[in-house]
Amino acid sequence: MVTAMTKLVKVIIDDREYDFPAGMNLVDAAKQVDVTIPVFCYHPKMKPVGMCRMCLVEVGNIQKDRATGEVLLDDSGNPQIRWMPKLQTACTMNVSDGLVLRSTSKAVDEARRNVVEFLLTSHPLDCPICDKGGECPLQNQTMEYGPGESRMNFEDKKHLDKHVPLGDLIFLDEERCIQCGRCVRFQAEVAGDDVLAFHERGRDLQIITVSDPGFDTYFSGNTTDICPVGALTTTDFRFGARPWEMNSVPTLCNHCPVGCNTSASTRLDRDFGGKTMIKRIMARQNEQVNEIWMCDKGRFGHHFTRSEDRLLQPMVRAAGGSLSRETWADAVAAAAKLLGDANGSVAVIAGPSATNEDLFTLKQLAAGVGSTRLGAWPPTHAGADLVAKVGVGKGTNLSNLGKGDAVLVIATDLEEEAPIWRLRVKTAHDRGAYVVVANARKTRMDDFADAVTMYQTGHAATAFADLRKQHPEVAERLINANNLVVFAGAEGLTLDGSRALMQACANFLIETNHVGRANNGLVGVFPGANAMGQHYLGFSPEATRDIIANPPKVLILAQADVVADDPAAAAWLSKVETVISLSLFDDEATRQAKVVLPVQSFAERDGSYTNGERRVQRFYTAQGPIGEAIPAWQAVARIAEKLGQGKARLSAAQVMNDIVAAIPAFAGCKYSDLAKVEAQFPQVGGDDLYYGGTSYKNTGGLGVQIASAADNGEAVALGDVKADAVKGDLIVVPTVRLYNRERVFQASEAQLMAARVAAPYVEINAEDAARLAIHDGDMVQVSAGAAQPVKVRAHVNGAAPKGTVLLPRNLQQTATALTIAAGTVTKV
Amino acid sequence: MNILRGFATTFKHLLEEPITVQYPEQMRPFRERYKGRHHLRRYENGLEKCIGCALCAAACPADAIWVEAAENTDEQRFSPGERYAKTYEINMLRCIFCGYCEDACPTQAIQLGHEHQLSFTDRQDAIFTKDMLIDPTAIGVAGTPQQVEPGVYTRSIPDMENPR
Repeated sequence: MVTAMTKLVKVIIDDREYDFPAGMNLVDAAKQVDVTIPVFCYHPKMKPVGMCRMCLVEVGNIQKDRATGEVLLDDSGNPQIRWMPKLQTACTMNVSDGLVLRSTSKAVDEARRNVVEFLLTSHPLDCPICDKGGECPLQNQTMEYGPGESRMNFEDKKHLDKHVPLGDLIFLDEERCIQCGRCVRFQAEVAGDDVLAFHERGRDLQIITVSDPGFDTYFSGNTTDICPVGALTTTDFRFGARPWEMNSVPTLCNHCPVGCNTSASTRLDRDFGGKTMIKRIMARQNEQVNEIWMCDKGRFGHHFTRSEDRLLQPMVRAAGGSLSRETWADAVAAAAKLLGDANGSVAVIAGPSATNEDLFTLKQLAAGVGSTRLGAWPPTHAGADLVAKVGVGKGTNLSNLGKGDAVLVIATDLEEEAPIWRLRVKTAHDRGAYVVVANARKTRMDDFADAVTMYQTGHAATAFADLRKQHPEVAERLINANNLVVFAGAEGLTLDGSRALMQACANFLIETNHVGRANNGLVGVFPGANAMGQHYLGFSPEATRDIIANPPKVLILAQADVVADDPAAAAWLSKVETVISLSLFDDEATRQAKVVLPVQSFAERDGSYTNGERRVQRFYTAQGPIGEAIPAWQAVARIAEKLGQGKARLSAAQVMNDIVAAIPAFAGCKYSDLAKVEAQFPQVGGDDLYYGGTSYKNTGGLGVQIASAADNGEAVALGDVKADAVKGDLIVVPTVRLYNRERVFQASEAQLMAARVAAPYVEINAEDAARLAIHDGDMVQVSAGAAQPVKVRAHVNGAAPKGTVLLPRNLQQTATALTIAAGTVTKV
Repeated sequence: MNILRGFATTFKHLLEEPITVQYPEQMRPFRERYKGRHHLRRYENGLEKCIGCALCAAACPADAIWVEAAENTDEQRFSPGERYAKTYEINMLRCIFCGYCEDACPTQAIQLGHEHQLSFTDRQDAIFTKDMLIDPTAIGVAGTPQQVEPGVYTRSIPDMENPR
């Protein structure tokens, strides 16, 4: 970023003079002024290595008199230039004052031609069947700079394995690899999962995976994007379509609060009834949200949208008790009648995938029948209101955190709950940011922390309040940091405990004046894609708790798979007289509902989400419709229309206009505003030859960040921290695994990710295990609170602290404890 | 005088043999390079030449070709190499018989033949599927998919020529 403080240097590129900020990479600088220096191994997100030699250019320096510093002139009055005797790799050089660069000359052209010819000596002629063909930098640069014809005999070509699985998700074609090392460097430098390596030397050099299971990382898909050839391809997209046949639709990932911008490549498909189908999902550049990366869950987790379990038609329960298929008009009329007859005893519970539009229409519908009981699902994470007050300031970009800044990650396993935040905090750590991880157990984030503080399970808020006493040196660094971002989750906490922690975090930020500025403030690591949207539109987990305690007559479940999440749900749901279910799937709640309305997933519709950093972002229709499903907001609006609450809107854009008019936080969030884009650095994803296939250019919009109360200059007050902890000999702590068996991720065991999902297990501390005579690998029965006991395998490997058992949620069909509870473990 | 010259021409043509061909009872031989309806060719061992690369579809100016690819295995092998055409369709109503598909094909799998009598009673019939386009196998040769020895058919383009 160029500011008034940045020192500019004069550089001559191809006989024209430019100013660049000092220290800028030469390839990036040239690209900025539309001078192409071709590269294979260089990538602006990684350190240059100068391995591929494609960026060779002529470089010289303007000669100056050593004594006076004046530019020496030659006989004809031009500055004297001392050219370097050999061609230089531009990617390993930075701009400096008086640098002269020639990007095209006979020597440069010949060098490029030779490099390409050499790369092609053993590159197979696979382009017709290669998944990269059509968006391949090697293909492009061969056409642009290559020799045109080969002098190599085919018998002399090196033949290597073409079909090497590097894990379940990625295939390696050893012949195609040009040994640029982008994948190895990405895993080591950016992702921090050092699972790839070079093996052998010279022409035998190959990429291997050094982890077991192979390629064990949540970021493996990114290596296929940055691979400049078709050496790394995904299992998911294998031979799915040719790149030029597909349309790219800007969409969003709906799995976690990061809100990664993604691009769905779509094509018509015979097996999908001739409808448009998502063939693959790739990252879409948004430097403030996900840069150009995304995790494998988002990339490969789109199959649920075409699940066999999807509801196809509206259904109404007949007097006899069985569900019968109805037309939309009849189902809407039935729902309207139930709501109208409820005398205001109505409540809504909305799941984490419900969009802003869905939530707003639900809120209006509830208001229309005299109810304000709006619950957010799952009711595990409190404090979204505090994030709205002291959340990260407008313009926050985690990429700007570095030396002198600090990040605190507390009560969350970022790796599992929000992988891209984990990646971005890791890179901030590499740039010099001081990273503190506080949790009751060891997490992956510890590997990238400067300080790790452990606290007793359930006591996050008190531990945080005591930070200054217990760890004064850590507290000191946080307090004095130029910028401080706090990521707070709710792992090992009750709902009240979560609120206490969020309040403690907010208090700390306010006291140390880390609010109301960019790159400062609180981020809630909430479940789902739209927890902040739930807050702004009036849905809260506290309301859910109230709904559970005092069941209404009519309950609307909007994309909330309550029975699969909460072991107590079956019991409290049975106290509700009537359930109206808006669902994607034929789930348990559907089986108890009087009216079932099939709704569309993010893939089939327009909508918007508000991510954890309060950025409102929109997504577009990518995939063809499934059955008679319609967007949830539309189903709700039709019911409202039937109840005489006014005509249903025709489009999601109109609903957003209503939201903008009704809710001040959403000012400036009309769809046209959300669709605005601006130039981003680095420029990837264009049609140029640089980073073909790397991420997609953002054409769908960068979104608009909602200002926090602190941003707006409102006074933010400290609040009381009411710590809440569970007592017991053994505390069962529900944890989150990224790959799980949730319906919105993986609808069947046959799917791609199935092998990566862990079998149900529980982590027990060695001391507790010894006391209970449990060994690693034993089958045990875990019961927690009121939940049905579950049989799972015990892991005794040091992950759980003493007195705590860690029970991952959603690894099995039966629901396990939703929040922390005292429990027992017995061997079976 | 002129009128006689005119009649002479008339009578000359009256005595000539007619050039009318009684089509369809009678057919003239086709030129070797006539571009009629397409055929998908096979190798002698019965494997399909088509590798599902969709370059024909990319070259097609009329957007008449639809290809969907899938992966070969040695247990179920359709073509040499990793990829084969799962779906291959040509809409004969759209096709303008320009032959660009034949030019684009890296394996000479698609070739325009001599058959030109194409008539349809509805639009759906005009879409020729892979089953209709692919050549039958020679007598005694297995069709596809075949179970083959592992490691034999690893290349999509089996016979590469050295640069001349």
